Amino acid sequence: MLRTNLGQRIPEGMRDLLPEEVAVQERLEQDILALFRKWSYQKVLTPTLEFCACVQPDIEQDNLLYKFFDREGRILALRPELTMPIARLVSTRMRGADLPLRLCYSADVYRNTNVRHREFRQVGVELIGSDQELADAEVIALAVEAIDALGLKNYQFNLGHMGIFSGLMLEAGVDASMQVKLEEALARKDMVGVESWVRQSGLPDHVQELLLRFPHFHGGEEILDEVLLWSERPAIREAVESLRRIYRYLDDFGVQANVSLDLGILRGFSYYTGAVFEGYVPGMGFPVVEGGRYDTLYADFGVPQPATGFAIHLGNLLEKFPLPPVEGAEILVYGSNDKQVIHQCQVLRAQGKRVEMVFGTINGEGAQKIALQKNIPEVLFVE
Amino acid sequence: MTIALPKGKLLIDSIQMLSRIGIECSHVNEESRKLFYDLPDSNIKIIICRATDIPTFVEYGAADLGVVGKDTLLEDNKDVAELLDLKFGYCRFVVAMPEASVPPKLPNGTYDLSGLNHQRVATKFPRVAETFFSELGMQVHPIKLHGNIELAPCVGLAEMIVDIVSTGKTLRENHLVEVAPILEATSRLIANRVAYRMKYERIRVLVDLFRKELQIDETAK
Repeated sequence: MLRTNLGQRIPEGMRDLLPEEVAVQERLEQDILALFRKWSYQKVLTPTLEFCACVQPDIEQDNLLYKFFDREGRILALRPELTMPIARLVSTRMRGADLPLRLCYSADVYRNTNVRHREFRQVGVELIGSDQELADAEVIALAVEAIDALGLKNYQFNLGHMGIFSGLMLEAGVDASMQVKLEEALARKDMVGVESWVRQSGLPDHVQELLLRFPHFHGGEEILDEVLLWSERPAIREAVESLRRIYRYLDDFGVQANVSLDLGILRGFSYYTGAVFEGYVPGMGFPVVEGGRYDTLYADFGVPQPATGFAIHLGNLLEKFPLPPVEGAEILVYGSNDKQVIHQCQVLRAQGKRVEMVFGTINGEGAQKIALQKNIPEVLFVE
Repeated sequence: MTIALPKGKLLIDSIQMLSRIGIECSHVNEESRKLFYDLPDSNIKIIICRATDIPTFVEYGAADLGVVGKDTLLEDNKDVAELLDLKFGYCRFVVAMPEASVPPKLPNGTYDLSGLNHQRVATKFPRVAETFFSELGMQVHPIKLHGNIELAPCVGLAEMIVDIVSTGKTLRENHLVEVAPILEATSRLIANRVAYRMKYERIRVLVDLFRKELQIDETAK
């Protein structure tokens, strides 16, 4: 049956990977997973399909999920990320595991939005059960090393802290719903919206100035001192000092030169609660690494505990790498006796060689021609 | 650094603004049909594209900065950083209906839109139209057109339109009446999210220069 026009295409945002492209993705993935192993992260895998109730980010982003019904009429969803499925896994089957727990993953995620790649490979880590700044620093340092290990040049990481903003909101007496709106505008980097909101807010002048200054706190440790000049509130001071300790740890890890402090990094409608960071690569119009601390997410799964982690959007990075030649066969085996040819191939394979068998009877000239076409260095005739 | 500028009226304003902050680009124009200008003195490249394409160029990082009307931004809903209101290119979004079928007025003087549920709205901006009506708890049926929106109610394609007006002349000529303002829009300076963080210093300097010029205009008023 000839497939219809639709049957010969693939849905928007999906893609096929050819041998060279698979080779690139697997090499990058293996390099990163090897690095994660060195840092003692254990790989886990969760199912592609989850109940929607597990992976639903929040009502506002509900439509980013691919959803289905099961036979009982319950709503299923393709995972849009791994943090929530792993929180579910840790809170159920791994409950009682020794903490801190270091887990990593490499899996495809699915997002039903209008972006180029709606299915792409994510690799990342989750560090569960530690609220220490050293844990934040470990995760950030690992993210930097992972991008570095890929051989990307001129990458940059920016690090911020959700607590400074919420401290400021607390100080200003902004109510929760207003805070979400403002946070969301800041996260979208809608500075015009933020400015008009702040100007009409009726907040004290110095709070207004500080809010407008917020996205421009960008640089090294000096910006933290600047924030403290603006406000000495305990909540703000606590977050600032926490960020300072994380940043200093990054120096001990030897990655501080790649990380800028940037208080403009905020995520509206997200589970992040503390340090948040993003990684950028020149030529990619969106962050390729996203991560941070999320200390309240595990409570949603009934086992409150602190956690931090990151994800690298590996699938989106593939285009940054030249396609390598695919490793083809090393030996081409041909002959007229199938039984002997099969036997010889199996012997060579057992020795660890990559072997290709010729179907049908050909002469030596024909075999040489195939070997030349397929770039196979050695040809073997079997009697 | 690459800056994307829109064809048309906004191009002239944008070039003027760039020239004022010391980026000499008075030779940039759309008559020459050149779409790409290199300004080696200021280390800036300027590209010229359709206004509605600017958010796309910027979202994908093909341009670091762009100038675009808030109307286009609202309709496109692209993931870009909106840095500054440049104040030029003012326009208003309105709902308009034929004189013959305007709804009754409420005691507060505004038109009562509640009878317009499930009616057809011809517009270039279906997203803006839908958002406006859904905030009123209403649902309408947008019909996307690419131009001559005013025509739609005259020929029975739609009961009302959502469009941009600057003077209101076109509405009057087509016997249409504004029944509700939606919002006002001016041009915005937008940035790619990553460029905004990676080329932060450079962009900030530009934004501050723009801001100074805008303040001068404000004071002059």
